[in-house]
Amino acid sequence: MTLFWVLAAILIASAIWTITANKAVYSVVALLLNFAALAVTYLTLSAEFMAVIQIIVYSGAILMLFVFVIALLSSGVAPLSVGPNRLPKAVAPAIFIVLVAFGFLAYAVLGATAVVAPAAGANLGTVGTAGVFGSVADFGKALFTVHLLPFEITALILMVAVIGVVLLAGDQAPYVATRRHAERVEREMREAILREGR
Amino acid sequence: MAVAISNYVGLSAVMFFIGVAGVLLRRNPLVMLMSIELMFNSANLLFIAFARAWVANAGQIFAFLIITVAAAEAAIGLAIVVATFRDEKNVDVDQVRLLKG
Amino acid sequence: MMATHHVMGVTGAYPMLVTLWLLPLAGAVLCWAFGPQLRGLAGWLASGAIAASFVLTVASWASGTQSAGGALGAHQYLFSWMPGFDFGLLLDPLSLLWTLIITGVGFLIHFYSIGYMHGDRAFARFFAYMNFFVFAMLTLVLSDNFAGLLVGWGLVGLASYFLIGFWFERRTAVAAARKAFVINVAGDVGIMFAIFLIVANVHSTAFGDAFAASGTLSSGLLFAICVALFIGAAAKSAQIPLHTWLPDAMEGPTPVSALIHAATMVTAGVYLIARCAPLWSANSDAQLLVGTIGGLTALVGAILGCVQWDIKRILAYSTMSQIGYMIMGVGVGAYEGGVAHFFTHAFFKAQLFLGAGIIIHNLANEQDVRRMGGLIKRMPFAFVAILTGVLSICGTPGFSGFFSKDRVIYGALQHGHPWLYAVGILTAGITAYYMFRLLFITFWGEYRGSVDPSDLGIRHPELSGVVDPDAGAGHAKEPADRAHHAEHAPAWIMSVPVGILIVPTVLIGWLMFGGDTSPWNGFFASSFPSAALATPAISELATSGVVLLLVIGGFGIAWWRYGTREAAANAVERLRNESVRMPAILTHLFYIDAAIDLICVRTSQLLGQFFGRLVDPLVVDGTVREAAFGARWLGVLVQSLETGLVRAYALVLALGAACFIAYYALAVAR
Repeated sequence: MTLFWVLAAILIASAIWTITANKAVYSVVALLLNFAALAVTYLTLSAEFMAVIQIIVYSGAILMLFVFVIALLSSGVAPLSVGPNRLPKAVAPAIFIVLVAFGFLAYAVLGATAVVAPAAGANLGTVGTAGVFGSVADFGKALFTVHLLPFEITALILMVAVIGVVLLAGDQAPYVATRRHAERVEREMREAILREGR
Repeated sequence: MAVAISNYVGLSAVMFFIGVAGVLLRRNPLVMLMSIELMFNSANLLFIAFARAWVANAGQIFAFLIITVAAAEAAIGLAIVVATFRDEKNVDVDQVRLLKG
Repeated sequence: MMATHHVMGVTGAYPMLVTLWLLPLAGAVLCWAFGPQLRGLAGWLASGAIAASFVLTVASWASGTQSAGGALGAHQYLFSWMPGFDFGLLLDPLSLLWTLIITGVGFLIHFYSIGYMHGDRAFARFFAYMNFFVFAMLTLVLSDNFAGLLVGWGLVGLASYFLIGFWFERRTAVAAARKAFVINVAGDVGIMFAIFLIVANVHSTAFGDAFAASGTLSSGLLFAICVALFIGAAAKSAQIPLHTWLPDAMEGPTPVSALIHAATMVTAGVYLIARCAPLWSANSDAQLLVGTIGGLTALVGAILGCVQWDIKRILAYSTMSQIGYMIMGVGVGAYEGGVAHFFTHAFFKAQLFLGAGIIIHNLANEQDVRRMGGLIKRMPFAFVAILTGVLSICGTPGFSGFFSKDRVIYGALQHGHPWLYAVGILTAGITAYYMFRLLFITFWGEYRGSVDPSDLGIRHPELSGVVDPDAGAGHAKEPADRAHHAEHAPAWIMSVPVGILIVPTVLIGWLMFGGDTSPWNGFFASSFPSAALATPAISELATSGVVLLLVIGGFGIAWWRYGTREAAANAVERLRNESVRMPAILTHLFYIDAAIDLICVRTSQLLGQFFGRLVDPLVVDGTVREAAFGARWLGVLVQSLETGLVRAYALVLALGAACFIAYYALAVAR
């Protein structure tokens, strides 16, 4: 119980830090803290495999990607220059919407009377013990039997994402990303056609 | 395990709306993407908490799938940021208005 | 194998039936494909195909009349185009009779055409069309179901269209072909609707099924089917008011007029009603309607025949009138009589046309009788041919037309239609008048070919337009390129078929001698439903006497007006006076063309203009245009929302999410 409240405090505090930090790299650090706390929370919820994945994939891969991009953009001439706020009036309604939606959610959660209890004879045991609910073996078996199709589709999605990233950010990307870029491509094509004499 | 499920729902909700606020209020696309990650994670927390409550590992599987999708989303989002920056020399989302009708 | 109830129980077979049916098609394809190579041989090839078909038809006599399984005839299953919808050929006494005429008379006319069409630029094309017509007509009469009949029905219309417009350099021929085609298609639509009604209620297109069900259909439905069928029959057989295409169809070469527009195709309506006798016999309203229209057509055709100057148009109106007799006969239920008149008419009318063809051919395509005269000395053979034909069509005792026409007229009385009986007798008298008028003007007196046309009252010496209401004064010329071709084919090629035709023209009527107990009625003993016959107060012999009196009267008037020595001497003046003083209602042919023009054409034009000028631009285009403008307006409206600011989109998204949460919190979670 105490552990939960400690973790909850860390999660909320790091989340707020993430969105309020001045520099993007601070946000990354705050988010790293958030993810670590979340991994611990997962452990308390018998999700040992997910806790590991949270560290490896989120903290290890995704956040590193963020750091690399920050590094890449910061090396430019005008790194992350922020212009005037074009939507100053949006702040008040944004905060209002967030609070109202949260209020509704709190209203629903606090008023909930249903009790969700584990089924009798559920195989709940100490985290890390083989064969109990949430163990790697238990998780893997479910993933590769019952949920095999979504798993494979996920692989497809990742493949699409990889191709998309190469197309978008690759060096010789044949895409048309921006208006300026589109105009350039169009001009080049027109000149090429004129050169051909057709 | 004495923590009621409603505590997890509340915690998840708070994290989610912090993420929403981040997307709505920040103009740095990187921070916006991180806020989106926050929202993903709040959803994951909810899935895993309910998986524990019902002793059904489908919730954990869903969380796993969400992580993969989130990874893909982050990769694409960052690629867009890089591409935009290359052309516009700017990553302020208020300056980039390619979607204007 | 098909169920025998489809084909009225016919189980007999005739192995050569398909060959008989397809031979003309083969001839058509050969003539069409190898026309340039065949040259003059095309005519012989086409005639040979029809001759072979005729021989097979004669050989099929035993099969077509054999009794197997309680029904007469032979049947050949071809294919099934849907479960329960079979297609086959049926040769029973009725279709056998038609097949005999189509191939027999058809062969003679083909043979004749070798001479008549000699030297025409499109010699092979002509015979391809002719053979194709025979194939289509055989399809029509041999089909064992309504769908196949409709196919043949449409194809003969197409062949007719081709052949009327054979000399397509002539504007009038093209217009006539188009007119014939349009009116015939209107009839096709009628038959199509009849088939729809039959299929919807009987679930079959086979004759046998439809006839077996005729007793169970409601009388209103039966009447509707009969009327729809009769629309087709009327269009094809030139019944009032759909007859106007037939006189114009004389724009085609004369053998075409003889084969298609006298002997065979125009009698398809008679065939249809005789074939569907079980339907008509089950509905007296339909019988009354068809009989009345038939009688009316006979009378109107005869009257209009009296005021024509074009030899082929006179014959066309007489054809219309004689088909009116046939339709009246089969309409009132005297099926044997109507069919008998078809049979004899095929011979004598073909002979009349072929005789007229000889005249036209020898006078360099002159068709106006006012410019003939005195031909008895120049063309004695044509005179004999036309004289026998005239005697037969008028009903001279002993000639074939006498017997068959008698059967029709007396049949109307026997089946309880005294008014139609009277009309039939009156028409017989008028027929005698206009046929002898033709004979006298053409053959009596002096040759008038060298007289100035205006002295004869000919207003349009060159051509009469089909659209011209003065078409009665018209005389179509065949194209100049074949008007003076250097050499004629040997005369015997055209004489021999006419000579052969004279025999049945004179003699064939004796088959019907003996009234209801004649061999003719015996032949059709099991083909038509029997009806309770009234025993009229007037005997058939007395009827023949009355008819004969009227015929002699008609002959007398014709003789008085055109035949006497004095009339022949003043022929030029008399003909001019008659031409000039003819009442407008007659020169305008009772204004039927004008009425059709007013009712159908003008209305359609107005409707078309209404839709073309108002509905299409405003409603159809307008809908499309307004839809496009609406979409654009909507786009402009929504465009303002597309600020391009990512955070604005996010705000809207968040608002939507908040609404969802509110909904679940308030409505579901509680």
